[in-house]
Amino acid sequence: MERRFSCPTCGKCCYGQLPLSLDDALAHADRFPLVVMWTPVRQGGRSFDITAELGITIKLRKRRLAAVQITPCAYLPPSFACPELTEDGLCAIHAEKPQRCRTMPFSAYRDEKDQGDLLLPRPAWLCDVSPNAPVVYRDKGILAREAFDAEHAQLVRAATILKPYAEWLLDSVPSLGAELQKVAMKPSSGQVVVSFATLIPRLPKLDIYEFAEKQLPIMKALAEKTAGDPALADYHKRYADMAGEWERIARA
Amino acid sequence: MPKCPCGSGSAFNACCEPFLNGAPAPSPEALMRSRFTAFVRGDLDHIERTHAKDVRDGFNRSAAESTANSVEWVSLEIIDAPARADGDDTGTVEFAARFRQNGDLMVHHERSNFRREDGRWAYVDGKMNPKGEPRRTEKVGRNEPCPCGSGKKYKKCCGA
Repeated sequence: MERRFSCPTCGKCCYGQLPLSLDDALAHADRFPLVVMWTPVRQGGRSFDITAELGITIKLRKRRLAAVQITPCAYLPPSFACPELTEDGLCAIHAEKPQRCRTMPFSAYRDEKDQGDLLLPRPAWLCDVSPNAPVVYRDKGILAREAFDAEHAQLVRAATILKPYAEWLLDSVPSLGAELQKVAMKPSSGQVVVSFATLIPRLPKLDIYEFAEKQLPIMKALAEKTAGDPALADYHKRYADMAGEWERIARA
Repeated sequence: MPKCPCGSGSAFNACCEPFLNGAPAPSPEALMRSRFTAFVRGDLDHIERTHAKDVRDGFNRSAAESTANSVEWVSLEIIDAPARADGDDTGTVEFAARFRQNGDLMVHHERSNFRREDGRWAYVDGKMNPKGEPRRTEKVGRNEPCPCGSGKKYKKCCGA
């Protein structure tokens, strides 16, 4: 079975939240509003195994388990374009763009065998999957695999930090476990957004003051941009809270 | 002389100060207390110096300093510091450190592991909000004497 795909650079996938490897999150901390995103995947889901391998598992009711993906993430509402998307729909930082963008349409957060649905253009996306496009995926194997392998390597490396971080934060903040369980039990999957500041004690070489100076103006600007729109009230509150948090750290 | 911030009731110079100045702490509890005092005083050198060798590289000093400076420390309570046999080079201390952050009273409850390295106690790691031993209950047989002491069978008394 062969699948074809070619990207016409329509820019439609450059909207909304963007998971980032830990390396990319730190490299682009002066660009993106960073959070740590916790996403439960229930047992039986196709990505359960790889998510448990790269993240952690939590217990649910009735002896069920959920795997939790823990990833740094650029936190943007679905209607917001990437801050580096230019007027003409191209990437302003193409040469240094995050690995997540380079690996598109594939994703190393999933098994290599489980990439098929990622090659289906979403509504209004202009991805070319016609017979004119080159074959990119054959018998559930990725043909040009450099980007996929590079992303996978980043995720494996980051897991050595993110897994112990996640276990430690779950112990420290009991309400986080309860919230994850609630989200995991919902029929529609959900996510729990955690401040990036919780991760910094686990990153020994990172200077928290410099990091706060980078994040503060980004969070402030987004808090302003989302103010007054009832549909974005949750985003607004989070940006305002995170701006307050970074400000307290930067000021100290 | 002011009282020691660790809450021992002793004067600072007779309690944690010598350890902050580099004297070896005689026990895991003494080291734990001195590390709390160091956080209160913003003495990050002492915190860093008293980490075990294998965890020193994983310590983010700027983040610890930022936390230490952004909170108002209230009190330290040693919950459990089990006695060790002589020559035992590991120890644990369970403690609750209370502090105020943004006006809220919070508690950091941890069971810390310590190890003696080159004759000096060092902090290794800790379990946050450790769970105690699971609670066990004895089951009373229906025909056994009632635990209330009435002398009747349990099924004729409280178990009826």
